[in-house]
Amino acid sequence: MGKPTDLVQGTLDLLILKTLALEPMHGWGIAQRIRQMSNEVLQVNQGALYPALHRLEQSGWIKAKWGESDNNRRAKYYSLTAAGRKYLEREQANWQRLSAAIGLVLETS
Amino acid sequence: MRWLHKVPLRLRSLFRKSSVEQELSDELRLHLERLVEENMARGVAPEEARYAALRELGGPDQIKEECRDMRRVNYIDNFLQDVRYGLRQLRRSPGITTVAVFSLALGIGANTAIFSLMNAVMLRDLPVHDPGRLVLLGKGRAGGSDDGFAVTDLYSYSFYRELRQKNQVFSDVSSLLSLLLGGMHGAVDGGPALEKMDVQLVSGTYFPTLGVKPTLGRAFTEAEDEPAGGHPVAVISYSWWKRRFGRDPSITGRTVTLGSTVYTIIGVAPPEFFGTTVGQSPDLWIPLSMQKQVSPGWNGLDNKWFQSLYIVARLKPAVTVDEAQANVNLLARQIWHEYAGPVLTRQQQQNLDHAHIQLTPASRGLSRLRFEFSLPLQILMAVVGLVLLIACANIANLLLARATTRQREIAVRMAIGAGRARLVRQMLTESLLMSLGGGALGVLFASWASHALVATVSTGPEPLPLNVAPDGRVLAFTSLVSLATAITFGTVPALRTTRVQLTSALKEGRGAVAIAGRGALARALIVLQVALSLVLLIGAGLFLRSLVKLAHVDTGFNKENVLMFGIDPVDVGYKEDARLVNLYQQLEQRVSAEPGVRAASISFFTFNQGAWDDPVVVQGSIRMPETNNDVLHNVIGPGYFATMDIPLLVGRVFGPQDTDSSPKVAVINETMARQYFPGGSPVGSRFGVGDDPKHSSDIEVVGVVKDAKYQGLRERRWPAAYYPYTQRVGYYYGLEVRYAGDPRTIIAEVRQAASEVDRTLPVTYQNTLAEQVDQSIASQTLIARLSAFFGLLAVFLACIGIYGLMAYAVTRRTNEIGVRMALGAGRSKVLWMVLRESLILLALGLAVGLPAALAAGRLVSKMLFGLSPADPLSLAAAALLLLAFAVAASYLPALRASRVDPMVALRYE
Repeated sequence: MGKPTDLVQGTLDLLILKTLALEPMHGWGIAQRIRQMSNEVLQVNQGALYPALHRLEQSGWIKAKWGESDNNRRAKYYSLTAAGRKYLEREQANWQRLSAAIGLVLETS
Repeated sequence: MRWLHKVPLRLRSLFRKSSVEQELSDELRLHLERLVEENMARGVAPEEARYAALRELGGPDQIKEECRDMRRVNYIDNFLQDVRYGLRQLRRSPGITTVAVFSLALGIGANTAIFSLMNAVMLRDLPVHDPGRLVLLGKGRAGGSDDGFAVTDLYSYSFYRELRQKNQVFSDVSSLLSLLLGGMHGAVDGGPALEKMDVQLVSGTYFPTLGVKPTLGRAFTEAEDEPAGGHPVAVISYSWWKRRFGRDPSITGRTVTLGSTVYTIIGVAPPEFFGTTVGQSPDLWIPLSMQKQVSPGWNGLDNKWFQSLYIVARLKPAVTVDEAQANVNLLARQIWHEYAGPVLTRQQQQNLDHAHIQLTPASRGLSRLRFEFSLPLQILMAVVGLVLLIACANIANLLLARATTRQREIAVRMAIGAGRARLVRQMLTESLLMSLGGGALGVLFASWASHALVATVSTGPEPLPLNVAPDGRVLAFTSLVSLATAITFGTVPALRTTRVQLTSALKEGRGAVAIAGRGALARALIVLQVALSLVLLIGAGLFLRSLVKLAHVDTGFNKENVLMFGIDPVDVGYKEDARLVNLYQQLEQRVSAEPGVRAASISFFTFNQGAWDDPVVVQGSIRMPETNNDVLHNVIGPGYFATMDIPLLVGRVFGPQDTDSSPKVAVINETMARQYFPGGSPVGSRFGVGDDPKHSSDIEVVGVVKDAKYQGLRERRWPAAYYPYTQRVGYYYGLEVRYAGDPRTIIAEVRQAASEVDRTLPVTYQNTLAEQVDQSIASQTLIARLSAFFGLLAVFLACIGIYGLMAYAVTRRTNEIGVRMALGAGRSKVLWMVLRESLILLALGLAVGLPAALAAGRLVSKMLFGLSPADPLSLAAAALLLLAFAVAASYLPALRASRVDPMVALRYE
């Protein structure tokens, strides 16, 4: 295993949404979770995380609320909206179709 | 519904900025702390752990900026910042700002003023219910009364009634008299004083069809359409209610007496409703069924051939104009057939074959003004557009010049990280501020100018009632023009200014610092200005020369020293009988006897007051197919030719021997004599009015007078015949007086004389015959004056541009000029060097402008009179004028260059 792979452009949104589909979470937690879930392969560029969160919030896919974090610190928790959930499903399906297609191309050649 | 979610978010980002920013900081700090903790847990020293965390996360400020971008508030935020900064910049160079804003105010103001007028005359919808569904039968070009068969612009009362009953395509049909009965005289509440008032006769269905609800009282209904003479009621206009009655809330029930009929006021029209004819504003509306009482001279309710009405109808909801048109034409044919009887004459059949009623959209009302002023207004719109373009070029040049001085500032800002796009946006904001300032001032300027314009186009003593107040459309137009202006003059300078070589720009000094291409661009702008000014000047020359030619057209009468009065025998109860004729004779005699009065006469019309045209039949001759046999007829008193100064060529004019019982006589003009009585003197020949050969010996020609212009200066030679009022008793409203001396005393004398004849007779002074002639070419005058004004303005602006460029070039080249002079170049050589540069630009401008002007000239050829669009005199004069001004503008800088002291110049820098 070499360096952690950079995220493909545009996939960060998908990963954030997927992470939030499980439970509401703050920024730090999202970054950690993505790394864990991908078996440390995907390294989130932490600087890019927050603009992405703002963008998703603006688009109405996620919403934010302040809450207590695990060690009693105030943190901003993001959660998926209904529209976001639908968007995620759609995008997930798209992604799967795309990756399957790419896989197919790679295997046949 | 995602935007429902977004709006509060964005508003929050904008207005609760500090708390949003605070949250973001907290969030980032938390993240950073966790990273530090994690690093420390791995055993890294605290200081080191912090740096590592920062490296991993990235700079918090950059992240914040990115987040702000994501929230889209940056646009607004930056914009506000740009506005603040822009205002500061504009304050810093007040000279440039003032010049720019002021010239923009002129340019945008002129555009707004012309557009306001265009809007009022051509674009504004009638303030009625759903105006888009209203149609006019015919084109509304004719006015008055027509007794022809199958006429498609004017209709009789019975035609209107039948069409209303039988059509299947209109939800309602209304009609109105095609003329406003202007200048009637009536008494309010039965009082003794007669007041001037304008009356419009309309059908009972007029207000319901338009969907106009009265402010007070009620409007007419269908019931008012009959019986004839049975409904002495009136609806008055809001402005008259305000002006005359001080908004009396109990107005209904008060009365207006016209002639011998007392009309009860039953309602007040809403404030915005001025009627259906743009450029007219009746004081009161009276049912058409009262036509005989209101206007005994215009009485044709039961005459199928007295076709004097416009018909305005409202389409049923699902009906298209084409369907309606088909139905109307079908019905009209039936109705006409019915009127003419079973057998049509050949002429009638021919008329019927050609008759086609076109339905014209009536959403913007009727207006003959529109026919007259559409083209001039469009031309003027183009003219002021070009002037604005020239002003834009000037300001662009100013900004380019200023860019040089701002280079260091720009370079510094770019060096510390400002993006080019951001800088361009910032500079455009500055331009926008200038043009909005100019636009705001321009609207003020326009509100004054558009009233002045209305006064110019008004043909009567009072300004035309046109609503030129800026409405939504005008303001939208002005905003759009301001915006377009800012983009036009701002973009190129902004792009140029921000294209700087950082390193060289940051270095002190100016010599080496040049903005790429500034010179070429500025020169191109000058060429453009010269070309556009040339186009405008040539246009102005063409219009002025046309006007001069029109003013020198031989009218056939002497327009000087004639005063024109209007009399109103109808409203003081005169009938069409011997008493009326006696009134006319008494008036003529008493007025003629006044000192200073040379001659006086009653007449049906003078110049451009209307016309009565009808064919004539000549004894023993067949129709001449090449002419349409129409002759202009006029009814006059014996002193008419003396008053108008129209020379008698053969025979005699009318005299006391021509009475009611004597043989019918006429005086004809040369053209009629030539066309109808060729060979020999026509005196003693006979003809008749109409096309019935039975009447061909009704009237005897007793004299021939010189041709004159009757309805306009541009008209061809018309055959004309005059009859004495003694033999055609009727209401004639004109009294003309030829005088010598002070017109003011004459006016008083005429009034005095008239009141001695009949104390009650309203006599109003209208204008002089010369004014009457001038007003007939109002649109020509308007366009000539304004295009001359704007042409000169354009040249002035172009000269400022040339002067600015040359002065700037000389300043920049002071050093070089010094070197040249030190090396022996003489003053005249330097002078020529600078002058030559501007002459080249001028030549280029002329070369571009000339073909453009020729092309533009063809577009306006309809407005020209007596010359071609390529009139060499106009072309040469414009080019010379432009050349003279431009050379003068560049001479000053050139002179300054030639006076450069080499010693000073070499030390310069």
